[in-house]
Amino acid sequence: MLNKQKGNGMKKTLKLLALATALAITGAATAAAEQVKVGIAAEPYPPFTSPDASGNWQGWEIEFMKAMCAEAKLDCVVTPVAWDGIIPALTSKKIDMIIGSLSITAERQKTIDFSDKYYNTPTGIIGAKGDDITPTPEGLAGKTIGVQVSTVHQAYAMKHFAPAGVEVKEYQTQDEANQDLAAGRVDAVQADAIALDAFLESDQGKQCCDYKGEVAEDVDVIGPGVGVGLRKGETELKEKINAAIKAIRENGTYEAFSKKYFDFDIYGG
Amino acid sequence: MVGDSFINWSLLSLSAPGWGGLLLQGFLSSIEIAVGGYALGLLLGIGGASGKLYGGPLVRDLLECYTTVVRAVPELVLILLLYYAGTDLLNQVLGAFGIGTVDISGLMAGIFVIGVVQGAYSTEVLRGAIKAVPAGQIEAARAYGMSPFMVLRRITLPAMLPYAIPGLANLWLIATKDTALLAVVGFSELTLVTRQAAGATKAYLLFFCAAGALYLALTLVSNVFIGMLERHARRGFAEQR
Repeated sequence: MLNKQKGNGMKKTLKLLALATALAITGAATAAAEQVKVGIAAEPYPPFTSPDASGNWQGWEIEFMKAMCAEAKLDCVVTPVAWDGIIPALTSKKIDMIIGSLSITAERQKTIDFSDKYYNTPTGIIGAKGDDITPTPEGLAGKTIGVQVSTVHQAYAMKHFAPAGVEVKEYQTQDEANQDLAAGRVDAVQADAIALDAFLESDQGKQCCDYKGEVAEDVDVIGPGVGVGLRKGETELKEKINAAIKAIRENGTYEAFSKKYFDFDIYGG
Repeated sequence: MVGDSFINWSLLSLSAPGWGGLLLQGFLSSIEIAVGGYALGLLLGIGGASGKLYGGPLVRDLLECYTTVVRAVPELVLILLLYYAGTDLLNQVLGAFGIGTVDISGLMAGIFVIGVVQGAYSTEVLRGAIKAVPAGQIEAARAYGMSPFMVLRRITLPAMLPYAIPGLANLWLIATKDTALLAVVGFSELTLVTRQAAGATKAYLLFFCAAGALYLALTLVSNVFIGMLERHARRGFAEQR
């Protein structure tokens, strides 16, 4: 537990001893280190996080988490929680940090704190093949657009598209929004361009849909990128994480695992 | 991932490339919650029904509040309330007393919520069943000099069971399906695992049908046991056609 972080010297020594033993045996920090519960959304969100058949989570963000936690010497445990309850789960201490493609926004910063960004990707729109859609309020007027609930994309669509006569439909998971696009219940889906790309590359996505373009920028809503979500006031942990992000950026670890997933720099400008 | 044939059965195999093992684990969690919640509900129901029938005015009013409020609020709302707000509140209270924080696991929250909800309904089921026991039988028992506890054990409980079992059986079947509500808090029971498997493989039809079959199997097995229980409870009754 994080609140027990300020343990006494004795505990620290024990912890170090245990850590050293664990390192000696397995070469990696195991249960002996300080456990940090990392909340991710309990839904398939490729290529960032998705469950495999043996119940393990994998993807770019899981690799980022492992690299970051190893660097910061934290024993991170993946804890899947429902996306729409991920911030309450953090504030009620069910989890200790969020690594779930959570964009840094002013609105969220009222409740929680963020580390520095660890990736930033454009926001795009996909639609049915052959459908004449442009990613602008005018181009979408009279259409229905699907977004995942309590995401920056929902906020963006409500601010820019809804006033222009676009019907905004919210989904609990990104996967459900994609499914409804494939089924023809919505005309377009707005989301992270990378996540949409993963869908377009699937068998189903190839058949039904294509990329319609990026939406116009709005940093107020979309935010400067994705950061690790933290409880307010936990500056010690935040500094550790920021230092770790910086370190894995500099020592090439970040690039190494990113290359497996992307052919461009996901960190953004 | 999706094979050429219409349905790729290998996705259901029990080991790693198939999701069958995970589905069964989820199914087991669902059953755990259902059994735990139902048992808690039955305890609350017995207490509630006795309180409503034999308690003083204050107890009766409190129980009336309990059954009314719980039966009025959707279980989904109760789960969200307990899981997020409840944990927060509990930790604040514990913090005020200087005790460390606790974490209500999805399993405990699920058992508690389903138990509380089931308790409200089974209170009413049991109350109805107890009232259906002919007053003459109880008077006769008292006339024999039985203590209240013995009356309960020998007369009221066995005599009310035939009236209570159909209602309680309904509640059990509802409890098994209510477990699916815990998917909203990200607890890995059958429904959530199914959604994840379906989302990851895009084999929606296969996985939702598989989950449906598991729920159906649970109901069919339950029905056999319920039938046995009911026959046992109704022994000595003339079979009515």
